[in-house]
Amino acid sequence: MGKEHKRATQWITPQMLILFAVLISLPLWIRGVGLYQYLGVEILIWMIFALGYNLLLGYTGLPSFGHGAYFGIGAYAFGLSQFNITQSLLLGLLAGIIAAGLAGALVAAFISHRRGIYFALLTIAFGQVFWYASIKLHALTGGEDGLLNIPRPDIDLYFTEIPIKSNLALYYLVLIIFAFAVISLWRLVHSPFGKVIQAIKQNELRSSFIGYNVWFYKFLVFTISAAISGLAGSMFAMAQQSAYPDVMSLHASGFVVMMTLVGGGFVSFWGPVIGAVVFFLSRDLLGAATETWLLWYGLMFMVVVLFKPEGIAGMFESMSKKKSNENATKIATRVASLKR
Amino acid sequence: MDTLYNLFPYIVNGISLGLLFALIALGFMLIVGVMELINLAHGSLFALGAYLAMVIISPDPSYFGPLGYWYISLPLGARYIVALVFAPSLVFIVGMGLEVCMRRTYGKDPLYGLLLTFGAAMVIEELIRVTWGSGEQVMKTPDLVNGAFIFAGLIYSKYRFFAAGFAILIILLVWLFLEKTPYGAIIKAGAHDSEMVRALGINLTRLRLYVFGFGTALAAIAGIIMTPIWGLRPHVGVDAVVPAFLIIVLGGVGSFWGAVIAGILVGLVVGITGAYASEWSLLSMYLLLIAVVTFRARGLFGKKSILEV
Repeated sequence: MGKEHKRATQWITPQMLILFAVLISLPLWIRGVGLYQYLGVEILIWMIFALGYNLLLGYTGLPSFGHGAYFGIGAYAFGLSQFNITQSLLLGLLAGIIAAGLAGALVAAFISHRRGIYFALLTIAFGQVFWYASIKLHALTGGEDGLLNIPRPDIDLYFTEIPIKSNLALYYLVLIIFAFAVISLWRLVHSPFGKVIQAIKQNELRSSFIGYNVWFYKFLVFTISAAISGLAGSMFAMAQQSAYPDVMSLHASGFVVMMTLVGGGFVSFWGPVIGAVVFFLSRDLLGAATETWLLWYGLMFMVVVLFKPEGIAGMFESMSKKKSNENATKIATRVASLKR
Repeated sequence: MDTLYNLFPYIVNGISLGLLFALIALGFMLIVGVMELINLAHGSLFALGAYLAMVIISPDPSYFGPLGYWYISLPLGARYIVALVFAPSLVFIVGMGLEVCMRRTYGKDPLYGLLLTFGAAMVIEELIRVTWGSGEQVMKTPDLVNGAFIFAGLIYSKYRFFAAGFAILIILLVWLFLEKTPYGAIIKAGAHDSEMVRALGINLTRLRLYVFGFGTALAAIAGIIMTPIWGLRPHVGVDAVVPAFLIIVLGGVGSFWGAVIAGILVGLVVGITGAYASEWSLLSMYLLLIAVVTFRARGLFGKKSILEV
């Protein structure tokens, strides 16, 4: 118990260090395994998106099927702030976070007193509203084509400027933001706030009987999740140098659900991270072999839901549990033989 | 009075669209109301039904030899009716297959069923894409219902009236089936108190299988009817499933007439918004839903359901 407590309050855990080490060294070997540098950027961005999403699905037990909307709002906010205000990276990212956070807060205000299926269906409705608006507001969003040729400004550190034109520099920038996001999310879910949202997942009614304002917690967690999606979206616009309605569609919202679940968001903080890697690897590897990779990925998703809803992280967990169980029985038999 | 006169065609269009929306939502409602399952694959099965019907109406005769040429020489109307029977039957089988998969999720969090059908939706849509390509397809309809007619100086599409009439027919048939036959009574009893129904010696597992299949077959029928209006592309499923669930939430889960009224209401709102701001007409239905659900948690006629937990 004591160990558990210590780990929960840590800022940086061994798993994080391993993950960061792998990611920092990634540019050295990614070409060696037949992939390309930009894939790393893409995966990192979707990891952030999925981690933010898992705050809702995995930790609070609230399924949102319209989360692509906040990702898209972040992307548009990045582009529009570069075009209309001033070219600044920080401004763009902040604009993405704030715009998506505000949109999320607005939606959350409407749906936080809903539960279960009604909640899920309303998130679809709101997601479609934003998607529809992004197509129809030609003057603002450029309609179906979206915003094109969004500038990617240098990082302005007052004393020096770091250009991020190359994919390598871009990768490390995204990685730094990713590290910040991971550490703060880890702290968040292990804070008292995190405990309350997990209590809401277990039983909403009981949590409210204990005296927690469930509405407010749901509102807050939805807003935070939307804001993180917005951060991911603004980075997406920065990397792609464009923003378009496709990322807001029901399909894109579905991708993040699938990633989070396949990876094991229900049981592990790292589920979404694993899920994003699996998703993009299957896109590129299956996609190279067959045009219909989504079909196979969808089938895999169905199999996971049916037979192992805990996802890949859950498989690891049950494997290590089995091992520790085996060890326990080994020790027990040894103790028994000693007694004899 | 003048504005009303100008609005008249939009209202007519809106009501006919609303009846079609109700038809789309009908199978969805049956599955939600009786089995308390949200079938997000409803839209994909809707599209699958339409694609199958397209193939049945105008197949490639060379595959089937002389029989194929004999079939293709039949009048279009006859082939259309064949399609209206066989395409939903095929989807019925697909739906039953999906229900068998779903069984593992019963008794768990309804979220798993939702996620499973979500995956199924994607798989079916991709299957359609693989089989028939991503492009727009055309489904032939009999000449009898094509073209337009003029009433009170305004032009109306014949097909819309045929489709609306067909929707009314199907809605009434389903209502009669649910309310006036012993099978309907068993289905409703199964939704109400499954333990009691089992105790009476009714095979509820099989009953749920048929109900799910029936709901998906209704999706296929709606798909066939909607195709000449909406066109046929793999993505059409999303265009169908979203209004379907919207109407269910609006009408209230488990209420038959709630769904029908909500469907007509949505159609009217879309139609009338179309008169003033055609660009935004589809958005209006989401706003209607948000407005209604903000004030009435369970929609217009909803009852308490386990899906809320």
